[in-house]
Order: sequence, then C-alpha cells, then structure tokens
Amino acid sequence: MDGNLLMNFRDIISGIAFLILGCTVVWVGSGFDAGAAYVPMGVGILMCLFSLPLILKGAVQALAAGETGTVKSPLIDHTGRFMATVACCLIYYLAMPTVGFYSTSTLFIVLLALVLGERRPLVVLGITVGFIALLYGLFALVLKRPLPVEFFLVS
Amino acid sequence: MFDSLFNALPVALQFGSLFSLFVGTLVGILIGALPGLNPVMAIALMLPLTYGFDPVIALGLVAGIYNGSMYGGAIPAILLKIPGTPAAIATTFDGYPMTRNGQGGLALKTACWSSAVGGIISAIALMTLAPLLAQVTLAFGPTEYFWVAIFGLVSIAVLVGSDISKGMLSALSGVIIGLVGVDTISGAERYTFDSLYLSGGFDLIIVLIGLYAIPPVLEMAEKRNATYYDAGSFKVDASGNALTLIRQHWRTWTRSSLIGVSVGILPGAGGNLAALLSYNEAKRKSTNPESFGTGNPVGVAAAESGNSADNASAMIPSLTLGIPGNLVAALVLGALMIHGLQPGPQLFTKSPDVVFGFMWQMLITAMLLLLLGGMVATRLFAQVLRMPTALLVPTTLVLMAVGVYTVKGNMMDLYVMLAFGVLGYLLHRLAFPLAPVVLGVLLGPMAEQNLRLAMLLSQDDWGALFTRPISQGIIALLLLVVFSQLWKMLRKGRQR
Repeated sequence: MDGNLLMNFRDIISGIAFLILGCTVVWVGSGFDAGAAYVPMGVGILMCLFSLPLILKGAVQALAAGETGTVKSPLIDHTGRFMATVACCLIYYLAMPTVGFYSTSTLFIVLLALVLGERRPLVVLGITVGFIALLYGLFALVLKRPLPVEFFLVS
Repeated sequence: MFDSLFNALPVALQFGSLFSLFVGTLVGILIGALPGLNPVMAIALMLPLTYGFDPVIALGLVAGIYNGSMYGGAIPAILLKIPGTPAAIATTFDGYPMTRNGQGGLALKTACWSSAVGGIISAIALMTLAPLLAQVTLAFGPTEYFWVAIFGLVSIAVLVGSDISKGMLSALSGVIIGLVGVDTISGAERYTFDSLYLSGGFDLIIVLIGLYAIPPVLEMAEKRNATYYDAGSFKVDASGNALTLIRQHWRTWTRSSLIGVSVGILPGAGGNLAALLSYNEAKRKSTNPESFGTGNPVGVAAAESGNSADNASAMIPSLTLGIPGNLVAALVLGALMIHGLQPGPQLFTKSPDVVFGFMWQMLITAMLLLLLGGMVATRLFAQVLRMPTALLVPTTLVLMAVGVYTVKGNMMDLYVMLAFGVLGYLLHRLAFPLAPVVLGVLLGPMAEQNLRLAMLLSQDDWGALFTRPISQGIIALLLLVVFSQLWKMLRKGRQR
C-alpha cells in the first residue's frame, strides 16, 4: 500500500492541530500592540489557511481509499525504548545540577546503554571512561567552560 | 589595489601565519564536528588568547577556525544526521542517506572538496570583487531585506518535501517559534505567557539541535541492534578520484559558490541560507530531482560549496564598510579592533598587509581543508562508527547536553532541547519537512524587523514594498520558484 495512504488520518489530525495552533496564535496576537501584532496575526491566519488543504486532502484520500479504521504503521516504532530514552534524559537533566556534570553523564551513559541492551561491561566502561575523559579534557582543560560542579567537590 | 594584494602574500606565508592557519583549521574542523559547538563560540573563546599575538597570526587562527568549522559541520551531518553547525543542515539531506547507502566515505570526500572549492572561490571573490560588490549591498534597504527573507523562507518551504502545504506549515511554525520573546521594536512580550525564560526567546542553536539532532538519536534508540553504519564505507581515499569529483561536480560547485558568495555579501544572511538555496538550485536544475534527499552526491556538493562560499564573502561588507555580514564577521571586526585597527575603507590603505593578508589566509585555509579534512574525517570520526548503537545513543545525547548547556549555562535549555527533539521526531514521522522550521526561526524575525522598518520609513504605505527595482527582481524570482513548483506538481498529477 502507498505510504501516503497510511498517513491519511495523520494528515487530518495534524491539519486540525495546526488549525487550532493558527487560531490560538491569532487570538493571543490580537491582544498585542498594533505594530507587534501584524506579523503574528498574519502568520496565524496563513497557518489556518494552509492547514485547510491538508485536512481536505487527507479526508479525500481517506474516503477514496475507503479507510475509516486505524492507521496501520505506528507513529513510534518501539514505544518502550522511545519512552525509556526520553525518561532517562529527563532524569539525567534533573540530576545534573546536584550530582554534577561528569558524574551524571557517566551514570547516564552506563544506564541508557544497559536499558538499550548493551551487556558487555568492559565495552560499556571503556567507552564511557574514554568519552568522559575526552569531554573533561576539552571542556574543563582546553575551553574552560563552567559545567555543573560534582557533588563531591561542593564545599 | 592588486599591488597591495600581492605584497601581502609573503606576510600570509610566514611560518607564524601558516602555523596558526594549520592549528586554526584543525580546531575548526573539530569544533564544527561537535554538535552544539559553533565557530562563533570557538572564535569568541580564542580571541582573548590572541591579545599578545601579531594581528596576522590572530586573524590566521580566525580564518582557520571559520573555514575549518564549515567543513567540520558536515562530518556529523553526514555520519549521524546531526548538523555540526547550522550551515550544515542542507548537507544532512543527502549526506546522511549516502551514509545509510554505504557511501559515507564518498559523501565526506565530496563535502571536503566542495568546501575547499567554495572557500577558494569565496576568497577570490573577497580579493577581487570586494569594493564593487559592496556597492550593490549599499542599495539594499529594509524592503529588499524583507523580500530576501521571504524568498529564502518560501522557496525552502515549497521545494523541500513533496507537499507544499506541509512545507508552508513547517515554515510558519518556525516563524512562530522565532516570534516568542520580547519584540525588539516595541519592547512588548509576545507568546511568553509571563515566563522569564520565554521572554528571552528560543536560541537558534537549541532549537536546531533539538529538531535536527534528537530525532535520529531517538530512532537509533528504537532500533538498538540495527546496523546503522557500514564501517567499510568510511575509508576516505585521499588519492584517486579527485579528477572524477571535479568532472562530476564542477558545474554544481560553480553555481553554488556563486550563490554562496552572493548570499554572503548580504548582512544577516548566513551560510545556512546559502547552503539551502544552493541545494534547491541544484535540485531544480537536476534532470533527476527525485533522487535528491535519497543520497545524491550532487546535493552534498551543492550544500557544502554553498555554505563555504559564504565564508570569505561575508567579510566583504565587514572589511570595506565596517558592517559585519554575520556573527563571525563581527568577531573579525572585534579581532581587528583588539589589535588597534579600525575597520572600514581606510583599513585598505592604513594596514594593507593585515587586510590583504587575511584575504590570502582565507584562501590558504580553504586549500588546507583538502589536506586536513580527509585525514581528520578518516582517523577520528570513522571511529564513531565502531561504537555500538546502544552506546552511541547516550554519548551523542551527552554531547548535545554539554553543547547546549555551554551556550548560556541554563539547565532549562536542556528541557527545551528535548521538547523540540520530541516535536521534531513527531513532525518527521508525520512527513513534515524540518528544514523550513529552522529557516522560519532564523528568517522570520529578519523579515518582520525589516517589514516594520520599511513601514515606518514609508509611513505605513504598503505599496513601498513593491516599487523598488531590486525588490521587484526578488519578487519575480519568488514567483518563478513558486509557480514552477506548482506547475511541476500539476504536471505530475496529470501524469498519474
């Protein structure tokens, strides 16, 4: 089946989402001063206008294909791994200011590698240590960029 | 003028100058290759270190970093679909598919040669056409800049991807992202929802890394055991096929370099716009435009020669008029002032060795890319491919985190980057092109500021936008691009 056909309902839904976004941009923009409102309102109106052919095209193709059911190809290929990666990133960002950049990054690399299925401890540790050492050399020694301080160095 | 130019050659060929060019180019390639680090940041960090140096050595470092980073940005763009610099966005379109097709080595070599050729042509333009071309830029007013921005935005939205409405919606989304923050003209807050973070607006590099770099990493994470890379395809052969490359791409290089030089002269229009316009032009001229985006080397050649041809030409208004064409040009002006030199026309008479020496340095460093580019790409970055995907994902995410954090030192930027990453992933899966979003963020504010300036100058006479001859020329080009694309789509529809 043509890949575009599988996108029919997605086109309709994304078109409606853009229509709502366009309307919101116009609605919020109408509260700005005249000079500051021209472009936001113009962009919002254009967004509404361009979302209409997308909705229409999606609807026409869906009707033509006789598809009224669910979309066959998933939007996310592997939801579990996708969510695990995003969750690990969030934990990494949350922990970084208190634990420190290099410590959190080391733990993050090891944890996510394990979550994603890497089971060779020597490979994981070797690459992690080498990579963190490289980052330390570049950012701490050469570029001297301030990064979140390690928890064991906080006085 | 040419006497001064040739008198400056021995200055550029001094040992100190050559050494700084070598170091600068190498550092530039590495900086460009690291997502989140950009030439502006690298040069800004280097400038304080050059206080005690001779101006020629200091400017040699700047020239090396600038040209080197433009090629360096292509390395992760080709290998990982992560543009190392904003100018490497267009390189991802065909560079990454080439990697997936087992042609990563060819893509890197094409990028290296294209960058070198673009840089050489741009340096020659800087040397010979500087005063003449600066005259043309003087004729540009707000209306012309407004139309240049609209032309860049609409042409990308229309030409990238197969659905015009999706392209336009992507571009408009980018403009909305660019509108967030304090309005520079009225001082009013727009779409900030009383958030202190949002009042500063979104930083381009954060939006760029989020939209462009995170989605492929998330895809990698989903397919953890997939063979993403063929290490064998990354053996960049330093000898051999150079003549074939020249024969295949000389037309693209010439066309894209001319586009890059023209774009570079316009203040505010950077290498990213040059690369995207060059890419679109190559696609438009191609007899097989459908192959673009699937791994066509011509796409890589066009994007890389276009963005590198922007480099030296961006210095034309800086050196002749004291008006920086982009952030790097502004830093070059800063470097000159640090060393007691005043930018502007008098620079050519008062310090010809420095200004013309810098032009030679831009030329030499473009040539150095051929030597250092291939070597670095082979020795260092091919190692990335031997890393298991399950480790490549977290290390790339750490690299992005550190790159984004070092921009402003704000943790909130990391969450914003991740949010844009998830948005980019979803847009990509829904077949919305991402390049127009980024261009919208970049060109939206430029178009708005110039539109409002034009309105202020014309006392709200909208007709003023259409009466100036250069504006009319740009509008004609814009209509040509839009209608030719519509015509193509109609013809395709009829054939079906």
